[in-house]
Amino acid sequence: MELLCLGLNHRTAPVEVRERFAIGTTKLGASSCELVGMTGVAEALVISTCNRTEFYLVAIDTRVAFASLESHLAEQTKLDGRATPHFYRMEKTHAARHLCRVVSGLDSMMLGETEIFGQVKVAYQAALEAGATSTVLNRVFQRAFGVGKKVRSETSIQEGSTSVGNVAVDLAEKIFGHLKNSEVMILGAGEMSRITAQSLVSRGARSIFVSNRSYDRAVELATDMGGTAVRFDDWQSVLKRVDIVISSTGAPHTIVQRADVEKARRARKYRPLFFIDIAVPRDIDPAVGEIEEVYLYDIDTLEQLAAEARTRRQKQIEECERIIDAELEKLRLPGT
Amino acid sequence: MDRWLLLSATLLAVIGGTWGMMSVHRGNRSHWTVVWMIAVLVCQLGFLSLRSQHRAACPLADRGEILVFLSWSLTLFYLLVGPAYRISLLGVFTAPVVVVFQTMALMPGVLDSNPQRILGGNLWHETHAATSVLAYGALALAAVAGVMFLVLDRQLKEQHLQSGLFRNLPPVRELLVSLERLLWLGGALLTIGITAGFVMPHDGGGSLGHLIAAVSVWIGYTVLLTVKSVRGLTGRRLSLLTVGLFILSLGVFAFV
Repeated sequence: MELLCLGLNHRTAPVEVRERFAIGTTKLGASSCELVGMTGVAEALVISTCNRTEFYLVAIDTRVAFASLESHLAEQTKLDGRATPHFYRMEKTHAARHLCRVVSGLDSMMLGETEIFGQVKVAYQAALEAGATSTVLNRVFQRAFGVGKKVRSETSIQEGSTSVGNVAVDLAEKIFGHLKNSEVMILGAGEMSRITAQSLVSRGARSIFVSNRSYDRAVELATDMGGTAVRFDDWQSVLKRVDIVISSTGAPHTIVQRADVEKARRARKYRPLFFIDIAVPRDIDPAVGEIEEVYLYDIDTLEQLAAEARTRRQKQIEECERIIDAELEKLRLPGT
Repeated sequence: MDRWLLLSATLLAVIGGTWGMMSVHRGNRSHWTVVWMIAVLVCQLGFLSLRSQHRAACPLADRGEILVFLSWSLTLFYLLVGPAYRISLLGVFTAPVVVVFQTMALMPGVLDSNPQRILGGNLWHETHAATSVLAYGALALAAVAGVMFLVLDRQLKEQHLQSGLFRNLPPVRELLVSLERLLWLGGALLTIGITAGFVMPHDGGGSLGHLIAAVSVWIGYTVLLTVKSVRGLTGRRLSLLTVGLFILSLGVFAFV
């Protein structure tokens, strides 16, 4: 019995092909069972996320199994042979190694991301409960989870935020700790500030105030986010109570001047204030950052921090690969 | 024996601090620092217990004993505050202060090598000495939290966010909250200590200088807490004033 893997992902297939192969979480178990019904296939497991769909099989003859699987998929997706160039095929150790890389986040679009670990676990659980896995896949997947954990704990592959929004949220947590006692004001109802504010809310930020030149747009966004709209002429009065200000207006000049913040300091009792300026040109006068209790980060700084985290993760790949190889060597998995 | 216990406490603090710093440098949390500091506290308790048997009173009769009592108080408050607020790094910053105080106590002539029994002890006198030094422990820890804030504030302001130290430092708001609570605790204990100092019998001599210094320190901390509560203070000013005031307040011991 040999282990094999056939799949496609964000690197090998465009979204219009990937979406044809996507399988909902509730159908993963049934899909795995269907594959076990194919000739010569003893065990099967399907992984499906927004960036990949992969089929892990244990079969007597890998050549026959690949052919049966491709024919089954062509029939299911009605793509005939058009999907064939987008597939990657791996056998034995290469398949096990690929699974370890996937679980460790090394094969993800965002290198080192942790969500994939949970997604593979869900897929494994579904196949296990459906009775589609047995000795080989159970051992291979359980070991792969162990290797994934080892990679994440012994390297810094998942450290640091790799997107501007996450960097801003991490900084907010470094300043305020739990965000449940923090209030946020958005200046300008742009998409970027909405995404960042939503991240803050998802991490517990207490309330959101939205101020925009078009009051109707502010009301719309505030309603969407369960916040409060503020007229653009009144944002200074809200500054007295908020902890975080996200600004991304389309104004050609600075909106927040040092004097605006100086006026609010006494009423704020000099509590820390975090400004996130994601507008170009900048909305916040750099002199605001000179105020003692103010932490000001603009888009360039946030992007630079995200890029540094991405570079650090890239540098970790070699070490991660070394851990995976060493572990696979030690484990001598069945089917490989 | 007492000296050996003090030496052990100092070495354990050196190991705990160094271990913690190395962990932080590697970007890991310094979980073991708490364990090392518990061992430090046990040795300090052993030392103070032996000295109190010799003195038949609270062991605060010479500068060495005061320094060790202060170190014990600082360690005790760290162990009470640090883990509760998940400020494991506080131990890394506390250990060097403990090492400095105890090394000073170990220097020749600072610690009475043949401690004599204190005759005619007075309850008010002991309350004054013990609560005052306990207060200094809390205020010292507040100063340590202040230093941690200043480090974090500088890194956030200058946008140097990659160090292991930055990753391990607790959030700004948590540091400021624990700093303020320690100031209130220290201030309350100092108030009890000074009140007991007024009530206890005085023998003239150096007590006037000590009284003036102690009252000045008390006024300093009271003004700081009042300004912080009523008007508000930036984290940087609060931290700088806490550190500065603590260093100045050590001058009180010159009159002991």
